[in-house]
Amino acid sequence: MSISENVSLRVSRQPESGGEFSESADQQVSLPLPSKPVIRIRASKRWTPLDLREIWAHRELLYFLIWRDLKVRYKQTLFGVSWVVLQPILMTLVFALFLGKIARVPSSNVPYMLFLYSGLLPWTFFTNSVSTSSHSLIASAQMITKVYFPRSLVPLAAVLVRLSDFLAASVILFILMVYYGRAFTSAMLLVPFLMLHLTLLALSLGLLFAALNVKYRDIGTVLPVLLQLWLFASPVIYPATFVPAKWKWLYDLNPLAGLISGFRAALLNAGFDRRGLLVSLSITLVLLIYSTFVFKRMEDEFADVV
Amino acid sequence: MKSIVAVRNLSKTYHIGQLRNSNPTLRDALVGAFGSPVSFLRARRHGDGTTLNALQDVSFNVEPGEVVGIIGRNGAGKSTLLKILARIVKPTSGEVDIYGRVGSLLQVGTGFHPDLSGRENIFLNGAILGMKSIEIRRNFDEIVSFSEVGRFLDTAVKYYSSGMYLRLAFAIAAHLEPEVLLLDEVLAVGDESFQKKCRAKIKSVSRDGRTVFFVSHNMKAIGDLCRRVLLIRSGRLYEGSNPQNMIAEYLDEVATAEAHHASLPANTYESTVLPSA
Repeated sequence: MSISENVSLRVSRQPESGGEFSESADQQVSLPLPSKPVIRIRASKRWTPLDLREIWAHRELLYFLIWRDLKVRYKQTLFGVSWVVLQPILMTLVFALFLGKIARVPSSNVPYMLFLYSGLLPWTFFTNSVSTSSHSLIASAQMITKVYFPRSLVPLAAVLVRLSDFLAASVILFILMVYYGRAFTSAMLLVPFLMLHLTLLALSLGLLFAALNVKYRDIGTVLPVLLQLWLFASPVIYPATFVPAKWKWLYDLNPLAGLISGFRAALLNAGFDRRGLLVSLSITLVLLIYSTFVFKRMEDEFADVV
Repeated sequence: MKSIVAVRNLSKTYHIGQLRNSNPTLRDALVGAFGSPVSFLRARRHGDGTTLNALQDVSFNVEPGEVVGIIGRNGAGKSTLLKILARIVKPTSGEVDIYGRVGSLLQVGTGFHPDLSGRENIFLNGAILGMKSIEIRRNFDEIVSFSEVGRFLDTAVKYYSSGMYLRLAFAIAAHLEPEVLLLDEVLAVGDESFQKKCRAKIKSVSRDGRTVFFVSHNMKAIGDLCRRVLLIRSGRLYEGSNPQNMIAEYLDEVATAEAHHASLPANTYESTVLPSA
């Protein structure tokens, strides 16, 4: 279309469009306006807390983001839900063979299979949550640059999808407990609280790394290595009693140490390491506050940078 | 009448240094922070001095029910303005107050998932655009009939033709019910009859008392739909009393630019008319 055509079209359209406008003006309905602005747009402030009300207002989007991920996964994969269960099972079998049979790692009088699974189950949730949520913002770049919504929903949805995986894989834990004839005790009532604690820990790291990853793509390369090391620095494939007593304080600075020991203790009715749990809880809460502030601080830039 | 959108002294500045190196590595940051802490902090605060003013001191008010056309050459700042109104990017300075909900359609089919069916994408995309699921359910049949993809509703959208895909995406967005609707060059999709349908939809949205912002390079559509036209020229806003004058001024500007770049292929202007989606 050349310019001259464009102009002539415009001119020829004029009477017609004019007519339509006057007609529409006659019929126009006027909506009552609120006295206060619904949306106020200002330059970004430096440090603000996460806006929980805004997240709550967008809870339906959160639901649909989780729904999408689950739906897509079961459409794309042949075995659907079984992968979620197979991952910790396969890891348990491999470690059981190499560490249980060959290296004979002690497992505090619990069948090593059960010992392993009860540690690998929360570990798998943690590591998958942190890695998928860290990558989630970059993966949603197209959405972030085209629509407004609280950006924290994206890593939050990633963690919640992994939480549903955890629930599915818990069925195997139940079967193992029955198979090994373990008693179901009241200590197990603590498991949901420990899971909440673990979810908050995974979420705070997910928020932090997701935000940093938008600006510094190295995070995506470094993170798998970091998580691999973290597995060996946590009491997942060996008991925390393995650690010499004089280094226990240092070991407990890993928030997963107290948590995974606590998870296992609640399930297998062993002694709780209260100090380790308390240290873990404090570190988690500090980390959560720090991450949400960092996330909020960087959030305003996401669409400019991603 | 009271305005539904009030924009005061809006500016958006990009640091060119930041743009040129938009993915700095962690190493750069660490080396910068540890190597020379003082200059690193200073650089963060002031940039390296090269800045791009995408928007400069833009102010205007819009009344409910107005269809506002935003025109200007590529890179003038139209999309930046729309993105600020949509809350996707933050302004560097200035204020916007909006007395109603905002729905934005800056790209057709944002968040569509290729492996999900048309039906599933209606719900997903609706939620992404800010619709409540009750709203989506209430409008579901109308969206399907507007999109004309009824027969393929349960087929994954990756098997859709591009026309079907765009029609479905626009149909969902057309049923957004916010008080302020932001559209970026979305009317350029589909064939003539579908475009006609879209224009009719925009008119009916405005008749309902809702406000529409509409960015386009298609002056025919702008002239047809907009009672008010804002012209953006290198980040500054110009407005005259008559939309047709603004359109003529824009066409002059394009023609002048074309004369300047006479050595470029003759169809440069045409490429700006085509959909950028």
